[in-house]
Amino acid sequence: MRLLRGALARIVGMFDRDRAEADLREEFESHVEMETAENIRRGMEAGEARRQAMLAAGGLAQAAEAVRDRRGLPAIERLVADLGYVLRTLARNRGFTAVVVVTLALGMGANTAIFSVVRGVLLRPLPHQEGDRLVYLRHSTDLPGGANVNFSVPEIRELREGVPSLGGIAEFSTWSMIHHAEEGATRVSVALVTGNYFEVMGLAALHGRVTRPSDDGRGADPVMVLAHDFWMSRFGGDPGIVGERVRLDGRWAEVIGVLQPAPFFPNRVEGLLNMVNSDHHLSASMVEDRTHRMTEVVARLAPGATVERARAEVEAVHARLRESHPEAYEPAARFGVAVIPFREAMGERARMTLWLLMAAAAFVFVIAAANVTNLTLMRGVRREHELVIRAALGAGARRLRRLLLIENLALTLIGAALGVALASGGVGLLAVFAARFTTRADEIRLDGAVLGFTLALAVTLALLLSFAARLPGEDRLATRMAAGVRRMTGGRRGQRLQRGLVVVQVAVSVVLLAGAGLLTRTMIGLANVDTGLVAEEVLTMQVPLLAPEDLLLRPETDGAAKETYERMRAEIAALPGVTAVGLGSTMPLRRSDIAFEVALESRPPAMGEVVPRAEFRTAGPEFFRAAGIPLLQGREFTSADRRDSGFVVIANQELVDRYFPGEDPIGKRIAWTGDVLRFTPFSGDWRTIVGVVGNTRDGGPDADLRPVLYLPFAQELAIAGGLVIRTEGDAAALVPAATRIVRDLAPTTPIENVMTVTQYRARTLAPQRVNAGLLSSFGILALIIVAVGIAGVLAFSVSARTNEIGIRMSLGADPGRVRRMILREGGSLLALGLLLGLGGALLGARLISGLLFGVPPTDTVTFLGVAALMVAIGLGACWVPAHRASRIDPGVTLRAQ
Amino acid sequence: MTRKHDVTPGTLALMILTTLDVLGPLHGYGIARRIEETSGNRLALNYGTLYPALVKLEQEGSIAAEWRQSENNRRAKYYSMTPAGRKQLAREKREWLETADLIAAFLAPGREAS
Repeated sequence: MRLLRGALARIVGMFDRDRAEADLREEFESHVEMETAENIRRGMEAGEARRQAMLAAGGLAQAAEAVRDRRGLPAIERLVADLGYVLRTLARNRGFTAVVVVTLALGMGANTAIFSVVRGVLLRPLPHQEGDRLVYLRHSTDLPGGANVNFSVPEIRELREGVPSLGGIAEFSTWSMIHHAEEGATRVSVALVTGNYFEVMGLAALHGRVTRPSDDGRGADPVMVLAHDFWMSRFGGDPGIVGERVRLDGRWAEVIGVLQPAPFFPNRVEGLLNMVNSDHHLSASMVEDRTHRMTEVVARLAPGATVERARAEVEAVHARLRESHPEAYEPAARFGVAVIPFREAMGERARMTLWLLMAAAAFVFVIAAANVTNLTLMRGVRREHELVIRAALGAGARRLRRLLLIENLALTLIGAALGVALASGGVGLLAVFAARFTTRADEIRLDGAVLGFTLALAVTLALLLSFAARLPGEDRLATRMAAGVRRMTGGRRGQRLQRGLVVVQVAVSVVLLAGAGLLTRTMIGLANVDTGLVAEEVLTMQVPLLAPEDLLLRPETDGAAKETYERMRAEIAALPGVTAVGLGSTMPLRRSDIAFEVALESRPPAMGEVVPRAEFRTAGPEFFRAAGIPLLQGREFTSADRRDSGFVVIANQELVDRYFPGEDPIGKRIAWTGDVLRFTPFSGDWRTIVGVVGNTRDGGPDADLRPVLYLPFAQELAIAGGLVIRTEGDAAALVPAATRIVRDLAPTTPIENVMTVTQYRARTLAPQRVNAGLLSSFGILALIIVAVGIAGVLAFSVSARTNEIGIRMSLGADPGRVRRMILREGGSLLALGLLLGLGGALLGARLISGLLFGVPPTDTVTFLGVAALMVAIGLGACWVPAHRASRIDPGVTLRAQ
Repeated sequence: MTRKHDVTPGTLALMILTTLDVLGPLHGYGIARRIEETSGNRLALNYGTLYPALVKLEQEGSIAAEWRQSENNRRAKYYSMTPAGRKQLAREKREWLETADLIAAFLAPGREAS
């Protein structure tokens, strides 16, 4: 209490200087007077009495200083004074301050923005309670498309019994349903989850409740837990929705609660349902069949258990399964289960890109910091005189160092503040970009940790800057004073440091530029990949009249749907400008998730060989013509290929290449086969190949080609209901007219993915484009900073050597020779930096080879281009000071001596 | 001439408080005089020591200051005890006596602290 009061009084004291000072003076005066009076009383002569009184009291000035220190907070007051001084000098050196602050703002802004993404997506703890104890189980095979084959319910049952390290195992499968509301029908992504899902995940309801084990099983009522985002966007965040009923596909489900905000995996979902919402999920095959793998698994580690132990136990169970059920685990496919910490699984797709961007941002910072160091070093040399005088006037080395530190802190903190302002503008855009890789994009923001990171950068840099500079030490003070003249070169050590920094800058920029170059070439390569379509100006839309449930369990609804589709097709085909309209399950360049094993009549499967597979798609008459997929052999489907005519198929070239190498496929027979077929509405009848169409790059330009079988739209169930519309003119202009027709014919069905193929393609390329764009802008930023850096250091060197150059010229050196001398000085730094940089870039390129497409990590064009660019910019930057040096007038400089 | 001692840190506050307790409100000069006299002129007090200590005590609320006329009609700043100061004095006095007793016991073996 007493201490607190004292401290408070001192803080107040800081602002009450003048009154306190007058008070003190008066008090001292009265003290001296009293003592003088006393001395006179003792018999001294008046003048002597006063003199003695003042002597006895001790130095007045020192006493006043002691009281002053006691009265306020001297440390803070000195700081304020120093800060004032620093801000005044910085304001005077406006050019220097501006360059440093802007350089730092760019460097720190880039780092702050990218770090906010890294933190939000990869580092921030999950909102799930004890989220670090969650693991994701991934069941995979070596077959194409086997990266994640999911689990069957019987497999999960075995895991539950055989893995004590997993305290809770929850099942979920993502599914899509049509949400019917008064405003219209929309497709919603949902997850069907077991009752223990929320408990295992460590998630709680914001309103209402979450599901519990009693919601499992056939007898439970269908219930839905809303995801926070969906609740906000669709129901305006109204808690009153809890207890209401919503219609999903054909069924009513009660909304029992709203989930706390949490990222979902692997994709965003709008709601979480108990299994009874899907007949399919409760069907005997789903529950009993070992190979009916549709379920994903998250689990919580039991108390004390480790991921390693869980991994070993899971592997043991899986090995046992492989042995006891050989028919379900084809050895050639090499089934395996990975146990992955949940947070890692969530960041998997984003990790490489994000660390790449973080590294690029760090490089920009290194370059910026090197530049700022050079600038302050040069400034330090120019103000050495000032520092010497300050030291002579009694400022100790510590006080000078403090002054430097305050100055550098002021610079870096202003830079950091501006950087954060820049970053806050970019974070929103980056979050949109990140949403393509992760469901955690919502968690990207400039939070305390991000700001702390930026602050740490600023403080560290300020410390480095303050200790890189040399101070006039006390030992050298006399010599410096005696020298008296202004020295402009700094020490040998200072120059070496500056040159070293230039070399580092050049090297780092080369690495950055090489990365940017490789990614840009990747992006261009991807954009130029032949999609296989003859023309892309095609409008596509999807109108799923039948829900997945209808397709699986109510095939009788198919007939009416087909009639509606045919009417849509005919009416759209009648629109002016439309040249072809095709119906089909899968839009051009999309990948179908439906793929099965196939049997070839001409070649029975050999033992141990990987069973051939193909994607399942349907296509109506005119589909290929409308989509722009070229027919290579045979015929297209016609309206004669109906349910009651013979089963026919059209294969893509890839299927022919793989399964009929060197043969004529037309007339050959092929059939769907495999265990899984039993769970589908598709038949394993033999089908005759009547045509071959060209390959298309489905699922992105870097995707592998896959064998595809197209079946007549009329012969199979009307899956997905896609319309491909080709026009003479602008396809996008047709959107209103086409949607109106569809809306009239199917008022309650959502109309999805209305876009032209060109638009779709631009969307698939967007991540690479943003990657390349970000890295390129970092590279350009680095180039600008480096150019300024090289020019600055050389200009400084020239001005330091003005006398020397003057002497050389008066001795006969011509301007060209002087220019070459300076260019050589800069060129050697440039060459060294270039060499180091190219070496580093080769190493770096290997690290990012996973992000490259169509260019080798050692791409000569990129590396030569980067080297040429760097040399051009670097020599350009050298030219200015070299030119200035050649214009030095020897007469003027020598007279100035 | 006796050797003059500097004031041990921490003891000055106690001396000032005792002086004010015994003599009532007093100015800085009077306090210095009194302390020097009490110490038998063995302590030397100058401004640089005394006044910061007074400021500190005032900031902490143990003493209060006020400008007044002195006995011989001079303006002087008088310091006086506050209730908080009285409490502090009592406490510090007790602590000092205990410490002194303890140290004495250490320095004079055979005698135990009372």
